[in-house]
Amino acid sequence: MDNREAYSILSLHRPEEPALDEGRLQEALRKVEADPELAQWWKAERELDAIIAAKLTSTQLPADLKSRLLSPAPMRTRVVRSSWSRAVLAAAASIVVLGVIFSSWRGPFQTAVSLADYREEMVSFIKVPPNLELQSSDLARLKTFLEKADAPAQFALPKNLQAYEPVGCRVLRFRRHDVSLVCFKIGGDRLAHLFVADAKSVPTKGSASAPVFAAENDWMTATWTENGQSYLLAVRGDRAAAERFLGDS
Amino acid sequence: MAEGDNEQLVEKFYAPLYRFGLSLSRKEADACDLVQQTFCTWAAKGHQLRDKSKVKTWLFTTLYRDFLAKKRHDARFVETENEADFVEPLHIAPSVVESIDAAIVQKALHLLDERYRAPVTLFYMQQHSYREIAEILAVPIGTVMSRISRGKAELRTALSDTTALEARKIVRIEGGQAHG
Repeated sequence: MDNREAYSILSLHRPEEPALDEGRLQEALRKVEADPELAQWWKAERELDAIIAAKLTSTQLPADLKSRLLSPAPMRTRVVRSSWSRAVLAAAASIVVLGVIFSSWRGPFQTAVSLADYREEMVSFIKVPPNLELQSSDLARLKTFLEKADAPAQFALPKNLQAYEPVGCRVLRFRRHDVSLVCFKIGGDRLAHLFVADAKSVPTKGSASAPVFAAENDWMTATWTENGQSYLLAVRGDRAAAERFLGDS
Repeated sequence: MAEGDNEQLVEKFYAPLYRFGLSLSRKEADACDLVQQTFCTWAAKGHQLRDKSKVKTWLFTTLYRDFLAKKRHDARFVETENEADFVEPLHIAPSVVESIDAAIVQKALHLLDERYRAPVTLFYMQQHSYREIAEILAVPIGTVMSRISRGKAELRTALSDTTALEARKIVRIEGGQAHG
C-alpha cells in the first residue's frame, strides 16, 4: 500500500462505522504508526473535518421555519400533481426525448411550455404560504431587492391591488427564467400573489384590459401582458375574488 | 401517524433537513420550501413507510428527490459519471482554519460540483452512515465514497478561496480603499 492509497482510506475512515474493507484499513493504520508524516496529515485531516462538521451544524436556521412547519396548514396541504397531470408530464417527457433525438438536424430544441404549465407551477409555490426572501410592506424596497437580484422589478400593479399592503417578495425560476413574486395582505391571513416575468419567457395570455381567468384547484388566476411584462395574479376563491384586485394599472 | 408524532419529527429533523436543503439549493427560501415540501409529503405518504426506523433516511431521500425534480424541471440536469481517483486534499493554512465559520462552510459547499455537494454535506452532517448516504442519493456505496473523497478535496480548495475572498471584503470595508 502506498501513501496515496493510505490517504484515500484514512480520509474516509469513521471509527464508529465498520470499514468496507477491514484488512486494508488495518494496513493503512499500521502505515500511520510507521510514518510520522502520514500520522501528522491524518491528525490535521480529522481536526479539519471536525471543524467543518461543527460549523455546518451551526448554520443558523430561519427564525420562523419551525413554527411554520408546526402550523396546521403545511402538514395538511398536499402539494402533489394529479395522476392526470402526471400522465401529461410523462407524455411531455417523451416528447422532450424525441425532440432531443431529432435536434441534431432541426437545430436547438426548445421545450414547449403552455400557460397551464406555468399556472400550475406558480400556484404550486403558494399552496402553502411561500417562503419569502424579503419581508417588507414597502413596495419600493421590494422592487429594489428584485432589481438587485436581476429579476423583473419594473412592473405596474393593477389599480385595485395598489390599495393593499405588500408583505414581501421572492424570486422563483420557471424554465430558466426569473419570475418575481410579490405577496399582498388582503384581509385576515389571506394573501394575493402577483407573479411577474418577462413576456418573452413565459406563455401568458390576455392583455391589461382583458385578463384571462382560469381556476387551478381552489385558486383563481388571472393572466395578462402589459408593456413586455407577463402578469399572473392568484387568489383563493372564484373569478369575482380575483377580479376585485384588477383594473388598469 | 398522529399529530404529536409529526411534531416530534419536525422537532428532530427540521434543522438537519434545512441545512441539507440549503447546501443543495443555495437559497434560504428554496431550502425552506424543500423542508416544507418534505414534511407535506410525509403527512401524505408517511403512513406507507413500514419500517419506522427508516424515517430519517426517508425524509432526506424525499428532500433530495424533490430538489432533483425541481432542478430537472428548471433546467436540464445531466448526471454524469466521471469518478476521479483519490485526490490528495490541499493543505489548509492554520490562519484559514481559524477563520472558518458556518457561512464560509456553506459558501464553500455551494462552490462544489453538483455531484459532490450532496454526499459531502451528508458526510459532514455526521447523521448518516455511508450506506444511508448511498440510499438517500440512490447511488452505489463505492460511488458515494469516491464522491466524498473527491468532494472533500474540492471543499478544501473552496474553503481556502472563500476565506481569502472574505478576508479581502473585510479589508475593503475597514480600509475603505483596498482593492478587491
